Amino acid sequence: MNKFINQILQGSNVEALPIMTHPGIEAIGKSVREAVSDGNIQYQAIQYLHDHFKTVACTSIMDLTVEAEAFGATVNLPENEIPSVTGRLVCDEESVKNLVVPSLEKGRVPQYLLANQLAAANITDKPVFSGCIGPFSLAGRLYDMSEIMVGIYIEPESIQLLLSKCTEFLVAYCKALKASGTQGVIVAEPAAGLLSGEDCMTYSTFYVKQIVDAVQDDSFTVILHNCGNTGQCTDAMVATGANALHFGNAIDMEGVLKQCPSDVVVLGNLNPVGVFKQGTVESVREETLQLLQKTAGYKNFVISSGCDLPPNVPEANIRAFLETVEMFNI
Amino acid sequence: MNQNFLEKLSECVEFGKINLASPYPPQMKGFPGADEITKEALEAGVTPTEILNEALITAMNKVGQKFSENKIFVPQMLLSAKAMGASMIHLKPFFANGTVQRKGTFILGTVYGDLHDIGKNLFGMMVEGAGWEVIDLGIDVKIEKFLEAIEQNPTAVVGISALLTTTMVNMKPVIDAIKSVSPDTKVIVGGAPLSVEFAQSIGADGYGKNPQEGIMWLDKIVA
Repeated sequence: MNKFINQILQGSNVEALPIMTHPGIEAIGKSVREAVSDGNIQYQAIQYLHDHFKTVACTSIMDLTVEAEAFGATVNLPENEIPSVTGRLVCDEESVKNLVVPSLEKGRVPQYLLANQLAAANITDKPVFSGCIGPFSLAGRLYDMSEIMVGIYIEPESIQLLLSKCTEFLVAYCKALKASGTQGVIVAEPAAGLLSGEDCMTYSTFYVKQIVDAVQDDSFTVILHNCGNTGQCTDAMVATGANALHFGNAIDMEGVLKQCPSDVVVLGNLNPVGVFKQGTVESVREETLQLLQKTAGYKNFVISSGCDLPPNVPEANIRAFLETVEMFNI
Repeated sequence: MNQNFLEKLSECVEFGKINLASPYPPQMKGFPGADEITKEALEAGVTPTEILNEALITAMNKVGQKFSENKIFVPQMLLSAKAMGASMIHLKPFFANGTVQRKGTFILGTVYGDLHDIGKNLFGMMVEGAGWEVIDLGIDVKIEKFLEAIEQNPTAVVGISALLTTTMVNMKPVIDAIKSVSPDTKVIVGGAPLSVEFAQSIGADGYGKNPQEGIMWLDKIVA
């Protein structure tokens, strides 16, 4: 069995894994733009969080633009905001056919590999999880998110070809992340949560499974994140075969735990904005305790934020979250 | 006869049949869509008001309801909105010459700093389908652009969308600026990271958790 999954299932405590890098970036006095462009700075942010917070693992930035940029998409990199893709790279069958699957030398990919390599080499007492975008979410950034939603019905062959190209790149990228020495990858597939369960199975699961089959083993975990899912995509997420599934705050965690197999680790789902960013220390404690009480008894549960913590989350709120988990475990 | 056209058109919009060429939905493949049926209906003497009220608005109400009940999802809703748009093209001249009256004008944009548009687009199409004229200012809309649009459409309601936690805070300066030059202008906000509490804290008059809620709010203020 996978080492991380075994650690969770056999452990007697509830473990905590907030997905976060921005608090580390802020603490070391760097900008978001610097961290998403420079592997050394990104690593320093991960290392800071490792040194200052007691979590079950470390995570890298959930930057959903680095892969699209490698394909040639234009990316907006504001100083202190999350990067975003602008414009549309492909628009029809011909442009999809002509789209070249990029090498791992393109754009900021080498910097991301460097950040993961440094984190894996220097953080040896807990797992480090890399991050990448999911195939449907990547295809949506290349084809335009609104258009791909319609495209799956109007031009399904073109969309499937695009998804195959995205998957080919993501498999190569995940293999390189694995080779960097990390213990797993969080595959962020939020756009698939806008689909019906059946469409999620066809346009996301089929492709995510190829990534899982290519990299997941006893030493490397795939954590599939889908914060858009409101319940209709849970079976499709399970069908990917990923060792661990990460859910957003739109879902009822207790219901999900009942639905997922007990040997799959289930992570989630405190609101990263409403609880972590806008909440007070008291409200964070209250919400964390409520979730822990609701999910008590599920050995496959890891408490987490429902998505990547955004910039400007008060450090006191992260501490309140972790302290509440620690107290609950006593 | 007229009823037959209206029922067929309503069905096209509800199930997202845009035109004859569209392969979706599979059970309607090879049949005329909202585009062709609207054209035929107008030629046969069905009035634009009947088309708007008895086919398009009725169908989009059903679509919004199904979406809020998780019976359909974003792709199906966008296809319905596209079908409605294909029909609406034929009605534009009647809106322009005043034959058909809309419920009001809705100015819509994603707040400055934010480049996301799927939520804005979806809501804009739904509002149009609910009988409003929609002026879509696009993404990354600066304060001045909102004010300019209000100046040109003084009775309009304004909608501001944001997807990011970093940009939702930009909504307050926009609302403050709008209220300072036009205190009676109503503003509704929406977007994934928002909540009703946040909407109230920044001085918005309305908040739409989903498109259906937003439309209900809009309809209430013109009732």
